[in-house]
Amino acid sequence: MKHDSSNQHLTQLPTSTHTPENQQNLQPDQDPPQPGQKQHKVEETAAGGKVLPGDLTHYVMPDATVVVDFLEILEFRQLQGIVFTQTACEALQSKGRRYYNRLRNLVKDPRHDCVLFANEFQEYSYCPREKGESQDKWMTRCVYSAAVWYYNHLAGMMSMVMITEDQEAVAQYSSLNSGVFVISIQDYLQNFWPELQAAHELYSSISQVLQEKEGEDSQKEFSEHLPVEVLEAGIKSGRYIQGTLNVSKHRAQNEAFITTEGLSSRNTDLSSDVLVFGGKHRNRAVHGDVVVVELLPKSEWRGRTTSLTEGQGDEKTEDDDSSAMPTGRVVGILQRNWRDYVVTFPTRDGTQNQSRNSQRILAIPWDRRIPKIRISTQQAEALQDHRVVVRMDSWDSTSLYPNGHSVRVLGRAGELETEVQTILMENCIHVPPFSDAQLREMPLNSPEKPWKVDPVQVRRRRDLRGTHLVFSIDPRGCEDVDDTLSVRRLADGTLLELGVHIADVTHFVQEGSLTDLEARTRATTYYLADRRYDMLPAVLSSDLCSLLGGVDRYAMSVMWELDAHTLAVNKVWFGRTLIRSSYQLHYELAQALLNGEPADVPELEQVGSEEKDAKLAELTQALEMLTHIARHLRAQRDRGGALELEGVEVRAQLDEDRNITALVPRQPLEVHETVAECMIYANHWVARKIQETFPSQALLRRHPPPRQELFRQLVETAKAQGFTVDTRTNKALADSLDRAVDLQDPLVNRLLRMMATQAMSQAMYFSTGAQPQDQYYHYGLALDRYTHFTSPIRRYADIIVHRLLTAAIAMDTGAEPKAPGSNKEVEETAHHINSKNRAAQRAQNLSMALFQCLYFKEKDPQTDPRCVANAVIYAIRDNGVLVFIPEYGVKGPVYLRNKEGQVVSVGPDGGCDWQSGSVRRHLDRISTESVGGSATFRLFEHVTVRISVQSSSCHADSLNLELIRNRPHGGPEAQRGPSQGRGQLVQEVVQEAVRLVQEAQQREARPRLSKEEKEFSQTRTPNLYSLLEEVRELALRDLDLDLDLDLDRSHPVCATTA
Amino acid sequence: MAGLELLSDQGYRLDGRKATELRKVQARMGVFAQADGSAYLEQGNTKALAVVYGPHEMRGSRSRTLHDRAFINCQYSMATFSTAERKRRPHGDRKSAEMSLHLKQTFEAAVMTQLYPRSQIDIYVKILQSDGGNYSTCVNAATLAVIDAGIPMRDYVCACTVGFVDETPLADLCYAEESGGMSSLALALLPRGGQIALLQMDARLHQDHLETLIEAAMTACKGVSKVLDEVVRQHLQEVSVLTGE
Repeated sequence: MKHDSSNQHLTQLPTSTHTPENQQNLQPDQDPPQPGQKQHKVEETAAGGKVLPGDLTHYVMPDATVVVDFLEILEFRQLQGIVFTQTACEALQSKGRRYYNRLRNLVKDPRHDCVLFANEFQEYSYCPREKGESQDKWMTRCVYSAAVWYYNHLAGMMSMVMITEDQEAVAQYSSLNSGVFVISIQDYLQNFWPELQAAHELYSSISQVLQEKEGEDSQKEFSEHLPVEVLEAGIKSGRYIQGTLNVSKHRAQNEAFITTEGLSSRNTDLSSDVLVFGGKHRNRAVHGDVVVVELLPKSEWRGRTTSLTEGQGDEKTEDDDSSAMPTGRVVGILQRNWRDYVVTFPTRDGTQNQSRNSQRILAIPWDRRIPKIRISTQQAEALQDHRVVVRMDSWDSTSLYPNGHSVRVLGRAGELETEVQTILMENCIHVPPFSDAQLREMPLNSPEKPWKVDPVQVRRRRDLRGTHLVFSIDPRGCEDVDDTLSVRRLADGTLLELGVHIADVTHFVQEGSLTDLEARTRATTYYLADRRYDMLPAVLSSDLCSLLGGVDRYAMSVMWELDAHTLAVNKVWFGRTLIRSSYQLHYELAQALLNGEPADVPELEQVGSEEKDAKLAELTQALEMLTHIARHLRAQRDRGGALELEGVEVRAQLDEDRNITALVPRQPLEVHETVAECMIYANHWVARKIQETFPSQALLRRHPPPRQELFRQLVETAKAQGFTVDTRTNKALADSLDRAVDLQDPLVNRLLRMMATQAMSQAMYFSTGAQPQDQYYHYGLALDRYTHFTSPIRRYADIIVHRLLTAAIAMDTGAEPKAPGSNKEVEETAHHINSKNRAAQRAQNLSMALFQCLYFKEKDPQTDPRCVANAVIYAIRDNGVLVFIPEYGVKGPVYLRNKEGQVVSVGPDGGCDWQSGSVRRHLDRISTESVGGSATFRLFEHVTVRISVQSSSCHADSLNLELIRNRPHGGPEAQRGPSQGRGQLVQEVVQEAVRLVQEAQQREARPRLSKEEKEFSQTRTPNLYSLLEEVRELALRDLDLDLDLDLDRSHPVCATTA
Repeated sequence: MAGLELLSDQGYRLDGRKATELRKVQARMGVFAQADGSAYLEQGNTKALAVVYGPHEMRGSRSRTLHDRAFINCQYSMATFSTAERKRRPHGDRKSAEMSLHLKQTFEAAVMTQLYPRSQIDIYVKILQSDGGNYSTCVNAATLAVIDAGIPMRDYVCACTVGFVDETPLADLCYAEESGGMSSLALALLPRGGQIALLQMDARLHQDHLETLIEAAMTACKGVSKVLDEVVRQHLQEVSVLTGE
């Protein structure tokens, strides 16, 4: 129907001004293609500026069936000059929206050399379907006729290759036209891309799956999904509930929850999530899918299991005291959210292979929440114990497991590089090296051709080089200096001028450039335990954008004019500037200057002593002023209820060779807070500015207040310890946390703060048009508006904010109001950045855990004293407790009852062993009864645990904790008296860390690891890194949830070593 | 659920038009001999037949007589075979009554009714095939019929519908687009003076977008007026050849 209407509505151009593009499409003979650039005019107009390169040997036009079945192969960036046809597009659309969107993104992405040709809208390439012609045949004919037209359109200058899986078509068409070749996809790959091994493998794996599909049969394992119309009607009437399926991490076999958050749920009476119990009820839904559930009758409702279980496959069905929650079954799936999964091919032994066809393997996904995936492959032997990236294709109701195909082999399981790649893959992080095209966009800066400030820019920018004393304070050895500060007294002395100058990344990264696109895709710099993946190429991040000392750099500045006494803001100025940082200080140096201690400023070494004194005095005065202002700002925010959730942080100081020279506790330095406060202030004011200028499309960051019920654990735990925690407002919470200090045990307060942090919701980016204004509030910082502005080198959000600010400044000077993006676009970007940030956070934690496991893997838990550690109980479960090990920053479960039903019994000396007995759980304690007597474990009690590694071939290794004594582990910790304060703890931590350093260095000396380093060309000191991360973990600082507290500085360790 | 993709990334609509492109307009005047004026107009797949009687003296209830101008009587109907499912009632339902009223208002603004006090002008429009933009096709057809009847008008009345999708106005919607769930607007214009004879919209639209939408509609109407003008001139030429002038 669509087609004949398109034919009848011939173009009638209403006015003469409308002539251009379409007519060119329709009447190619009127505008004969010119040689050279002009010949791509059709693509240019059709794909919005995308042009196929002219220097190829051929363009390739895939058939509809090829696009539908083998789109993944066409996604290889190496394949160039692909012309998709509208016919193929529509065929794909009928396969599913998701596939179609993938093609759309492909065509949009300038990094792929492909365009879309609307062949059915082209008068001479369109062919009507003939009577009795099958759909497939017709589509093939359409594509062929499009290929012929295209060939003629390019005046025969470029050969066209049409690829099809239809052998008849190959026979029928291949000899019709000289410049248009028709070949099968396999021939195409073999002839044109023989070296692209990955594509060949992918081809064989997909075609294997397609063959398998034909021979499906057997009885139903699952009930069929309902059609979409029924589901939608059911959701509207309230009979069904729509939500995202969340599979429980620990009981992946049985428990899954439907979270309705973010989706309009009609059932307002359903306050909690819906439980889906068992595989049958889950009905082929996979973690992350958007599903529709039907509630079961109340008699079948169940509660969630709260006991600790070990890993997977634990079919414990005991009912516990937790109340029954709504339980349902999946009746349909609205949207599959399948991504690429990492699976491990199991080791082959005769018994395991149950499937009839020996080529079918059940591969086990790395993520426990994902069901096993059936893969058809002929490489099963070769892939044993390898980690492989696979994609799921389908899950029929006749099959117990979904079908998939392999895409890429990562490497042997257990190898460091494989594991790191697995972590990246599982979090959907793709960080290919920057391509040549991207690097070509970068300005040059080499010793021969040094980069210079452009005189045009000098005229446009405010020049602060002569007037302002600009300096930066960063961790020692920092290469990417995002931010610098300046402060001065204005002429009459009654005013202060505070300036924050941020690297002007947007000057170098034009919107829509390849670098910009890549940065947008990455959204943030990824910090893993042993490496770093930059968001921007190194020439920008550590050179031209970095505000290094003594060189001219572009900056984006915020300057406040403050009243010298009240510190009230008189005037704010935003704008682009040109600065030259005079001092590149580090924290310790700045603090030393503030304290009046003698300090060597490297920039002043060459200067005579008198001048040096004068300059030092000037600098010190500036630092003092800065501190004064920052104290005031902090006090202001504290009155509003800003939360302090950070703990102690230890930082390693590195010399030129990147060896650790000293470990310095970070916390006592006030200057950290000073710098952070200035950054928060700048972020806040920029947020105000862009929100006022663009009320519906500014990118801000909000931190929603936490849900009160999430504080329940915190409140109850605190109560058990005799503290009251008031969680009603952020101020009350901050105050009550400050009061909840146990002089006997400083860990109590840290653990309480940790729990408070866990109860918090995540801070996130959003577009101001997508939220009502009262939702802009930042709970953690107690600010009404907040955004990220100060680290454009490592966060994409800041780049957007810079662009918004630039547009806002331009509007102030009378330019046309022009927002960098619509509300919808900004909101989409915000979502993207949020999800990437979460992925980055997860990847960082996972790589941290990986290195912890590597650390303990090499030690024998029975003999090595380092595997025995002091632990604090912070939560009680039905059959065990959760503990925190401050020494290593590890959190984990300790079982009091093992799989055989035995319980821990405590001997007279405090030693523990397993005996038969029972466990009873109370609110604040858990006790075991056994032959050997009874033992009770209370919250915040110190115990001794043994750490061992639980290896798993298919999943990530995990740490296993075993209780060995119910007293604190020996050593200084045990004898610590009540008089000891926090400072001493810090020192202990430092000592502990120093010990770890030595260990790490010893470890480094081992040949095996260093070989790996060479092989995978990692940074020179990977394990040092993990150690620093461990040290950082000691501070309980990252706690999964960044709260923006001082976030601008949250990666000091990474910045210094990488 | 996302429905049809009304505007592709390449800027094509469902039937291959660009956003501002109109459907093909074809028209003939003077298709019936008995009526005072008549016209047949196709706008893409929407086909309309318009017939004009009058001005003549009041028929039916004389109480409707207007003493300073002519009374315009409009009747809109759709052929039973005009839609994909057979229509039970060709005219007289609510929708047709509303459409008749809109037509009446449009032509009261365009026809110089004060030249014919105490008389009546009848405009009958029938949709033979409906594929979106019924109102605008009717107005365009009726304009030609009125001209054919020799009734003086201030200007051509040209109408066009515009829709709004992805921040882009789409001119002259077809049925698939109209039922695609976007907000649309119908506008009848006296193109030379740029006066709006009728503006009708019954969907939600943000105020900020209204102006661009009206702008697009006016451009489209001016495009239609060019086509109509050509049709009239062509017709006059043919008629003058026949009458030997």
